[in-house]
Amino acid sequence: METLSDTTWDVVIVGTGVSQSLLALALSRSGKKVLHMDPNQYYGGSDAAFSLDEAQEWVEKVNKDTDVSPFKDASILKHDASPLEDTSISAKLASSRAYTLSLSPYFLYARSQLMSALVSSKVFRQLEFMAVGSWWIYAPGHPDTKIDELGAEKVLCRVPGNREDVFAASHISMKSKRTLMRLLRRITKPNEDEASNEGDNTSMPLNDYLAAEFSVPEELHNPLLSLSLSQLSQQDTPASYALPRIQRHLSSIGHLGPGFGAVIAKYGGGAELLQAACRASAVGGGVYALDTCLEDCLWRHGSEYSEHRFLLKLANQGSVQAKHLFTSAADTSPKESSTPLVEVARSISVVSATFPSLFPVAVEGAPVPATAVLMFPGDTLGSRKSPPVYLQVHSSDTGECPHQQSVIYCSVALPGPEGQALIESAVDRLIQAEGLPARVLWSLKYTQSGRLGNGEPRRLTVEDEIPDCYHFPPSSLDLAFEDDILDLVKEAWKIVVGDEVDDADFMMFDDREGTSDQ
Amino acid sequence: MSESASANAPKPSSSVKLVLLGEAAVGKSSLVLRFVNNDFQENKEPTIGAAFLTQKCSLPTRTIKFEIWDTAGQERFASLAPMYYRNAQAALVVYDVTKPSSLTKAKHWVAELQRQASPGIVIALVGNKLDLTNDGGDVSEAAGAAQGESESAQNGDEGAGEEDEVQDDVSGDARKVSTREATGYAEEEGLLFFETSAKTGTNVVDVFTAIANAIPESSLKTGRGTGAGTGQTSLGNRSAEDSRVNLDDRNAATAKEGCAC
Repeated sequence: METLSDTTWDVVIVGTGVSQSLLALALSRSGKKVLHMDPNQYYGGSDAAFSLDEAQEWVEKVNKDTDVSPFKDASILKHDASPLEDTSISAKLASSRAYTLSLSPYFLYARSQLMSALVSSKVFRQLEFMAVGSWWIYAPGHPDTKIDELGAEKVLCRVPGNREDVFAASHISMKSKRTLMRLLRRITKPNEDEASNEGDNTSMPLNDYLAAEFSVPEELHNPLLSLSLSQLSQQDTPASYALPRIQRHLSSIGHLGPGFGAVIAKYGGGAELLQAACRASAVGGGVYALDTCLEDCLWRHGSEYSEHRFLLKLANQGSVQAKHLFTSAADTSPKESSTPLVEVARSISVVSATFPSLFPVAVEGAPVPATAVLMFPGDTLGSRKSPPVYLQVHSSDTGECPHQQSVIYCSVALPGPEGQALIESAVDRLIQAEGLPARVLWSLKYTQSGRLGNGEPRRLTVEDEIPDCYHFPPSSLDLAFEDDILDLVKEAWKIVVGDEVDDADFMMFDDREGTSDQ
Repeated sequence: MSESASANAPKPSSSVKLVLLGEAAVGKSSLVLRFVNNDFQENKEPTIGAAFLTQKCSLPTRTIKFEIWDTAGQERFASLAPMYYRNAQAALVVYDVTKPSSLTKAKHWVAELQRQASPGIVIALVGNKLDLTNDGGDVSEAAGAAQGESESAQNGDEGAGEEDEVQDDVSGDARKVSTREATGYAEEEGLLFFETSAKTGTNVVDVFTAIANAIPESSLKTGRGTGAGTGQTSLGNRSAEDSRVNLDDRNAATAKEGCAC
């Protein structure tokens, strides 16, 4: 096997984003000849993770070719320490490679199908998972906020994650607690009183639904919204979107261990996960080619080509023949998408603070969380109609930054300078609350287009003129992995392995010899 | 740290990710096979795809579990390595002592690791196929070739001031890369250095033990850390070990249950 052309491939996968990499993993024991390539010199495409230097290169690339990537308006701000300021070691940026900054800092709910797939495929052995801790709501001037609280906790309220939390929460009135408990009961056991659900109108906006159906006081609407991770405002989030996701949150708590309901893969979340998937695929015989572009795609008629209809011209690598082709919208020339994409403003900031108050250990025996989720409702940032700003604070336990520093990932479903202004204001407030000498050392801002879980269901699409060429949808903008990503991967897997393989075999692998613990 | 220190309490155990790099056919897979299974296959087929193996290495104070990633067979696309050395704490760069071009390739790998991998990565340079040289049979002498500093006297003898690397002496000696040249390079670059034979087993375990010993304790505590060496102040009880979520206990349950929606 001297060159790629010498093999007739069963499957060519273009792009190493999460979906494509999971497909490569799914096919890793199928015996199929898989060629997995990426036009970039790094893994992950729009889900990649970067060192500081790599981020700089990425920014230049994003701003150069705007039409081929889901990103635009990328910029990096470096805040050099003035000689007068505190120049302790944490207040300085470390070397480039001390950072792993992820375009996909997504976490996984314990009950997600993807979590199960990572376990059943044994890929979890090559990953380290850290607990996602508390959810917080920014609530300045909240009457019950204690004066003696420290740091960021002054302006943030912890969102109760389960019944015990609700009872313990000092900032919720007794009456509110009762309505909340009633709601939680309904959400977690939706089938119990089916009959009384008849009147439910879950197409209502979440806030209307909560008020109308459960008389949930308004002060609890935002906390509930945050548990659904909806990036739209309460008014724009239908209850039918939010309720199953709140249920997902509540039912995941404690599933993998006490005190947490979600985990994040160390060293970059999705970016690490997809590399673990690619490694497993390589171990199974998948061949990897970075820096390899698909230049042209020829689908050949005629019975002599029935086993390998594709003739794919690769930049610098000649041509290869293949039977199936999987790409994504981001990795080939984008066609007009049938459903419009959403644009969000995002930023990644390296901060010289550890925010210890954001990472309480919820119950005894729980792991120390490495991530906290903060929601800043639009109205608290001076813009009543805007969607909420989400901050994910990652401690150095995520391996993404040196000790004594944190990485803050921000997202708001409002593109451009307006969204960036909201993000900046949210980060400022958090840092102000923490007090001196915390400050932003480095930040990357960008606009990303993609899909939110709120939108239409994601689908594999086929090009009209070319059967057997499937496109994965543009990257997800959700903050947690949505299981429909895995549904698509399964669909793609099924196309390749055919009907003779049992659906139940999807991602069900034994440990390879010499790789298990025993 | 240890709550109930009974005599047979298990030693602390840490995982170390190790990536194996080097030109095709220098014996990378054979080295691992010797280390993991104490086995050797004559005329081993080239590794297709890649390989992943684990092996424990017991030190006096702790146990190191090596997670060994072998890029075998895919070097020509140079596409697996970046993914493999990402967050790796150790790298084994292998060349063939009978093939000078393989040392050149090894030097390229070392340079790439120094440029791209975690700043604290421990790199061992390994000259394999010692059994094809005259040193091959004599284990004690071969072992002496390892680990620069203290052996410099011996290396001096061996090189005997001769610039020419090729030893053209006794028939049957296929050595084309002198120990002196490789040691000199390893010392310059701060690498561990060994000459091994996967076939006879000479020095193989020693390589892995030396790597295990060279991994700084701090990097074990904080996981595959990059930023080691920056903030010294610990966060009290917040070490990476406290925060790692262990899925192993529950994987059976999780795998079956799946989504409960």
